[in-house]
Amino acid sequence: MTDPRAPTAAAAATDWDALPDDVFRLQVRAWLQANCPEHVRFPAGRMHWHECRDWWEILYRQGWIAPAWPRALGGMGLSPIKQIVMVEELERHGCGRMPDQGITQVGPIIIRYGTPAQKDWYLPRTLSGEAIWCQGYSEPNAGSDLASLQTSAVEDGDDYVINGSKIWTTLAMDATHMYVLARTDRSVKKQEGISFLLLDMKVPGIMVRPIRNIAGDDEFCQVFFDDVRTPKSNLVGALNQGWTIAKSLLGFERLGIGSPRRPQLAFARLEKLARARGLFADPVFMDRFTALRLDIADLSAAYEVFVEQVRRGEPLGADVSLLKIWATEAMQRSSELMIEAGDEHGALGGDSDVDGVAMNVLAPFYSSRPGTIYGGSNEIQRNILAKAVLGLPQ
Amino acid sequence: MTAAAALDQRRLLADSVADYCRRSDPLRRARTLRGTDPGFDRSAWQEMAALGWLGVGVPEAWGGLGLALAEQAVVARGLSAAVMPEPVTAAMIATRAIVGCTDGALKATLLEGIVAGAILPALAWQAMPGDIDPSRCAVVAAPDPAAPDALLLDGRACFVVAACGADGFVVAVRTPDAPALCWVPAGTPGVSLSAHRLADGRPVADLSFERVGVPAGNRLAVGEAAREALAAALDEGQFAIAAELLGLSQRLLDITLDYLRTRTQFGKAIGSFQALQHRAVDLYIHLRIGDAAFDQALRQAGDGDPARRSAAASRAKARACETARHITREAIQMHGAIGFTDDCDVGLYVKRALVLSAWLGNARLHRGRYAALVPLDAVEA
Repeated sequence: MTDPRAPTAAAAATDWDALPDDVFRLQVRAWLQANCPEHVRFPAGRMHWHECRDWWEILYRQGWIAPAWPRALGGMGLSPIKQIVMVEELERHGCGRMPDQGITQVGPIIIRYGTPAQKDWYLPRTLSGEAIWCQGYSEPNAGSDLASLQTSAVEDGDDYVINGSKIWTTLAMDATHMYVLARTDRSVKKQEGISFLLLDMKVPGIMVRPIRNIAGDDEFCQVFFDDVRTPKSNLVGALNQGWTIAKSLLGFERLGIGSPRRPQLAFARLEKLARARGLFADPVFMDRFTALRLDIADLSAAYEVFVEQVRRGEPLGADVSLLKIWATEAMQRSSELMIEAGDEHGALGGDSDVDGVAMNVLAPFYSSRPGTIYGGSNEIQRNILAKAVLGLPQ
Repeated sequence: MTAAAALDQRRLLADSVADYCRRSDPLRRARTLRGTDPGFDRSAWQEMAALGWLGVGVPEAWGGLGLALAEQAVVARGLSAAVMPEPVTAAMIATRAIVGCTDGALKATLLEGIVAGAILPALAWQAMPGDIDPSRCAVVAAPDPAAPDALLLDGRACFVVAACGADGFVVAVRTPDAPALCWVPAGTPGVSLSAHRLADGRPVADLSFERVGVPAGNRLAVGEAAREALAAALDEGQFAIAAELLGLSQRLLDITLDYLRTRTQFGKAIGSFQALQHRAVDLYIHLRIGDAAFDQALRQAGDGDPARRSAAASRAKARACETARHITREAIQMHGAIGFTDDCDVGLYVKRALVLSAWLGNARLHRGRYAALVPLDAVEA
């Protein structure tokens, strides 16, 4: 019997990467219009698994859940430029982000560094949504300085025994599995004593405590480990190679975080609010509004420069970080202008009626905060640019 | 021309400009010539003519190189990086207006003279500061009762860059029925210059016209042709000035980064301090965003639609002004007290940026024009 949820034979047989870029783009666009459920479009925050499981399964059946994975392993086998097209079309359609760390993070790591047994077990389950992953990197005392992490994994028989705590773990309450960076050697340089482990969240000793964020939502958690056992077969790569493995994901994936799409959406909300408030007749507002509009249009131009680089098959340099900095800070400026444009509405929590238009004036203010903090805070990005691109001294 | 050939062409031009700048010590010349009239050197002008830079956008039929705005921008950018005193962009704008005029004997004579360096033209069009609408010129042309077909000009034009060294003026006028462009040689009776000193030490002038006779043969274009020639010259001029701002910003950022790497305090290079590193990175980001915006705007301008060209010019100028504003101000601060001295080259860049930012519309004016020209629901690719 075939699983009715499994990818269709037609989906599995199609070589999407062979299509010309623009044909592919139009096919993706048409398919999204026909198949994407309304409730996953333009969500207010990160979607929980129960809110998007149906969409996951639709993508899985179409064979589109893992654009970057090789076709032999159930992915679409797309070239970098087609992956960018796919992301752009998903963003254009407003498809909310799913708990996709298995697809975007640990999957590619297992594909590159995993044992045959790890690949056979985890990859199909990750594709089907049977295994939902969360990322165990940050700790209460290891944020920007991630390499100083203290959660330990100690060998005991056939297992590693994990103790410590991870924090800011997005959607850990929904996850079935976690990929963990843990300290396995305290006698060496901090980057050289870290290992990359896989962990089943159902094993004893794990406590997940959701953390309410500033917007009042439970998106991230603290996770506590009390003598948690994971088999040695769940070590990915060599012992103490975890730091190198975790850093290996820095490729053209970094383009996504600097995409102009999210600032454009934030700006569209500002535009809606300004229209409702009649602010287009206010020259002071208009100058700031247009400055922001150009900030985002010019971000698109810079983004295109990097996309062209990918299209030519060139690797991206450290300079790509500038997109993240500009995009996330433009979003914050947009959210500030929105608060100002909202006048008293900018003091209201939740939805309000702004001159006949239902709006949550503060939503972009909150949702634009994490971008400058996660994925290497903007301060860390500036450190990297200062040294790697500008060559400023240590 | 293929894309690859165009790239080669631009590289050749950029190399030739950089080579000339290395040989001619433009920063020293900028210092020597500031505060003088006309504020540049006619022999350097002849050298630039010999290198082809004065006819980059002039069709080959008139002796020019017949290249596009992108190539003119390369020249403007390279010269500005060295704070070159010669008014190449001012002449380029007036030249572009003439290129857009109706073909005729005067047009041919002027363009051939311009390309050869014998005629230095300046454009007189602006009614008042802060007004970048080309349709509102303040020079009125009436029929000359004494001479059939001739015109008499009355009125004024402000902020004419290179006016003091120009051999003649392309003057935007209003006739009773239509706009027109006329050629008025320098020294024509009734033309008077009121010169001001720009922040960078070069002169600029307001022109006034009092019963200035213009023979029929000096009318370059009338009606729609005149309107479009002027609009195109101003839009392309705004692009050229944006290119100048970016070239200058790039060089000044390099100078400032070198200073951060070499200046030591507290026993280490000041560029090792995070407070300065992060700000230096922000300047670098402004430059990259500025370059990307400029290149994209240039492509948008190239599709032949005048409204899109104007919008793209405004986008490029507004961004370049912002980029230069951030980099020039921070360059002073990062150099510390030395950056506030007249001896330090930073000041030459800062003052040139002030002039370029105000010329043909500052950032605020261009944001306003962009907002007026590009409807909000348009896709801003």
